[in-house]
Amino acid sequence: MIWKIAKKEFLLNLMTFKFAVGAIVCVVMTAVFMPILVNDYEQRLKDYNENVAANEAELGKVKVYKNITPTVYRPPNVLSVFSEGIDNQLDRSEKIDIFGGSSIILEAEGDNSLLSVFPALDVTLIFKIVVSILALLMAYDVISGEREQGTLKLILSNTAARYKVLLGKLIAGLMTLIIPVTASFILGLLILLSSNMISLTGREWFRIALMYFASLVFVTAMFNLGLLLSCLSKSSAISLVFGLFLWLFLVTILPNSSAYIASQLKSIESAEEFSGKVKAVTDQLGSEINELTKDVKGSGDAADAPGAFGHTYYRLCEKSEMDSNRKKYSITEPVKIKYFDKVLGLKEVHLNYLVKQKQFADKLAGSSPIVLYENLMSVLAGTDFGNFKCFKNNVRTYGNEVADYIRSKTENFASTSYFTPCKEGDYEKVMGVLYKPVMDAKDKEKKAKLLEAATKRYAQILKETPSLNLQDFPKFTYQPQGIRETLQQAIPTVGLLIFASILFFALSFMMFLKYDVR
Amino acid sequence: MVGQIVRKEILENFLSLRFVLSLLLVILIFAVSGFVFISKHEQQVQDYSKNTNQSLAYFQGHAKRLYWIATLNHQFYRKPKALTLCAEGFEKSIPNCFSFNAFSRDYPQLKGRTNALLFGFSDVDWVFIISLFLSFAALIFSYNSICGEKETGTLRLILAGSMPRHTILLGKYIALMFTLGVPMLLGILINLVIVISSKNITINTAGWLKIVVIVFLSFSYLSIFVLLGMFISSRTSRSASSMVILLFLWVGLVILVPSFGRIVSKTFQKVPTQAEMQRIVSELVEQMYQDSLAGKYGENASNAAPLESGICNPPARARMFNSETDEKNKIIERHLNQMTAQVIIGRRFTRISPAEIYRQACETIAGTGIGRFLELRRQISRYQADLKDYVRSRDAEDPNSLHLLYDEMYTVSLWRSISHNPVDFDTVPKFQERDLALGQSLKLAIWDIGLLVLFNLVFFAASYVSFLRYDVR
Repeated sequence: MIWKIAKKEFLLNLMTFKFAVGAIVCVVMTAVFMPILVNDYEQRLKDYNENVAANEAELGKVKVYKNITPTVYRPPNVLSVFSEGIDNQLDRSEKIDIFGGSSIILEAEGDNSLLSVFPALDVTLIFKIVVSILALLMAYDVISGEREQGTLKLILSNTAARYKVLLGKLIAGLMTLIIPVTASFILGLLILLSSNMISLTGREWFRIALMYFASLVFVTAMFNLGLLLSCLSKSSAISLVFGLFLWLFLVTILPNSSAYIASQLKSIESAEEFSGKVKAVTDQLGSEINELTKDVKGSGDAADAPGAFGHTYYRLCEKSEMDSNRKKYSITEPVKIKYFDKVLGLKEVHLNYLVKQKQFADKLAGSSPIVLYENLMSVLAGTDFGNFKCFKNNVRTYGNEVADYIRSKTENFASTSYFTPCKEGDYEKVMGVLYKPVMDAKDKEKKAKLLEAATKRYAQILKETPSLNLQDFPKFTYQPQGIRETLQQAIPTVGLLIFASILFFALSFMMFLKYDVR
Repeated sequence: MVGQIVRKEILENFLSLRFVLSLLLVILIFAVSGFVFISKHEQQVQDYSKNTNQSLAYFQGHAKRLYWIATLNHQFYRKPKALTLCAEGFEKSIPNCFSFNAFSRDYPQLKGRTNALLFGFSDVDWVFIISLFLSFAALIFSYNSICGEKETGTLRLILAGSMPRHTILLGKYIALMFTLGVPMLLGILINLVIVISSKNITINTAGWLKIVVIVFLSFSYLSIFVLLGMFISSRTSRSASSMVILLFLWVGLVILVPSFGRIVSKTFQKVPTQAEMQRIVSELVEQMYQDSLAGKYGENASNAAPLESGICNPPARARMFNSETDEKNKIIERHLNQMTAQVIIGRRFTRISPAEIYRQACETIAGTGIGRFLELRRQISRYQADLKDYVRSRDAEDPNSLHLLYDEMYTVSLWRSISHNPVDFDTVPKFQERDLALGQSLKLAIWDIGLLVLFNLVFFAASYVSFLRYDVR
């Protein structure tokens, strides 16, 4: 009996105007959105590759170990076309500056922060908006509509049990809704795969399958919600009005209000407070270093030649200067590393403030299946905060690797190669040849001419200075969250959605049992 | 006759479930928005005064001599505005701290208590409530205004009398606008009462005038959706079909089109990445260095030895630094212009949606959002010119100065390129953000207002023609 009802309802649903419009909108939108999103991803991938290459090129120019401050980049995530999550709002790169510490916390939209004035666009948007409204539209008149037409009386006057009618209608509704969801996924994937820059790994396929499953669970929950509304009222117009207002509330008002309220109730540290703390740490570092090096003369970072990554270095160094600097760096650098860790710790604390505010907003909006679904999709796509945190952890590990590397190459920062390529005697040789005649010249004009020539020759020397051999320099690898962690995060949300589905259905069933069919 | 229809329609609407629901929800949201706004504004004002006092104290403390005034970088923070209550304009994600001296400007930065993780969400301001919620309510009220009457059979009855069709259409339109106007005005009133009751928020006369204009804009925006609803309603014979079409139209116009903005922006205007910009700047510095070696600015431009040594060349160094500052300024300016142009392209495109036209018009009138950012940059650039003029005129009074204005603290101090005379801080021009007058704002928003009116006219004409040809059987 259930199947008979389901089949009849399914065929009826297929013929409705709302299904036609909804399904067409879904498919057309996927067809329009997807190429644009794929194109955007390709652009990001290109930028990423360019940045990595530029970083490599800069590494090739490094003359002294002190200047090794590479930038690592977070590769773009191909699944962000399905769910953008907070991927675009978080910084894509981090400078490994162990001895300087950086203060960048979170950068919006990488290249142009002003683009944050536009809402995000991804495939989840189609589902959360169009499919959810279609689910409600399919369900709002399932019971109340039949009552109005008088067909409900006819059905129930036979031997069909009420639960069978309701189940039949549920199955039919779901079968109808699977069509646009599946069509959009398949079309989206076809467009995605038609790009020759993109190839999906097995893990990504698995994630896409999970996203498809999550979308079905979400659609079921929304359909059951509509079914409940339909069983609650006698007139389909009332259930429609209720349904639409509820939908609007869940899809736009609740998430935005929650974020707005959370931003006030859960206070965060301001950027100024954070930089104040960082400054306090660096000041502390400064005084510790001053204390430790008060007997060492070396002039430290006041170098004479432009180096890689925007730093400077000593091309020429007097013997005494070389010795004192060597001593100085061997004392200061281990201290700096300790403080680098402290600054990273502060950053983590600051980030935690932001995350807690976001989580609070999510909690406030948690009663909306639409918000749950959106967060679930970003977890499955790997565009949520968890993956960003993985990146941050990778960066931390890499920072330590770089520090160890430099340590091993420079005898614990005690080698001159740490701050200068100058060999003993170089200084005297070059200075003697280039600058002594300038000093000795009496005539001002001649002095200026000689200086000009010496400056040019010196520039030539800088150009000819060999770069360090960094073949065994550690490479940065980004290891996103594994499937197991993702599942651990996703299962409670899926469970919640399934629970909501069952609850809505159980309530509809209870209401339908008492429903006055006249 | 119109009056009679209006009265009947209004009564009918007022007694409906949809009216009760929208009224309650609108009042609730406006009230919550008011309370949250007060707390947000207080926090912002607190942070703002702290930061501004700090930066002013720093400037005052260090700017004892003229050359410091010229070369010292100082910071200006964007002031929190009471009118963000109406249209916040995503100011939370737009840079709010400007750092500059008389010669150059850095990239503006985003400071304060902003959370990038929440950038995707809009503040619940008037524009949000009206553009999303009330426009939706407008459709829910109007979707069956014509075809609903046909289904119940009353349309035939009305038209069987002597009443002309345009009277009925007009009556229904006025009644619908009234029905929507009541919750909107009530909500706004409650919101304003809550906000004004806070002692930290004051709205001046110009602000009130702007609020009145925004209310008018809101009416004309809602009118578009009422007319759209009536148009679709008079194109369809079943109210269910009308509802479906309107719903999808609404989703398209109010939710999807604004989301397209970012993609359109990215597709039609490319902006170099931060990394590329860094590369460009370092290439420039390298080029300048090579130029100075080649003697482009004069001999020994790169030498910063003391004047007595006789091997330095201050005019050449001034030329070199001015050229470098100019180039850097140009690069940053071009980059910022590209960034704003990118956003503006997307915003122009999204103007196919009345919701975006309305949002942008309100932002312009309230003086918030991206428009304010652009205006601030203009004002700061004018202020820099004023500051430079001030430094130049004071510098001319000092016979010991070399009268070379350029942006290098070290040699300016060493060579006395700019006067070292002490300065009375009160005479130094200070930067103050000026709000645009209502007339200027209206002039800027004229296109948006025109488009709102145009949409109204088009949908009115469309619904009028459709209703004239409507088959009432």
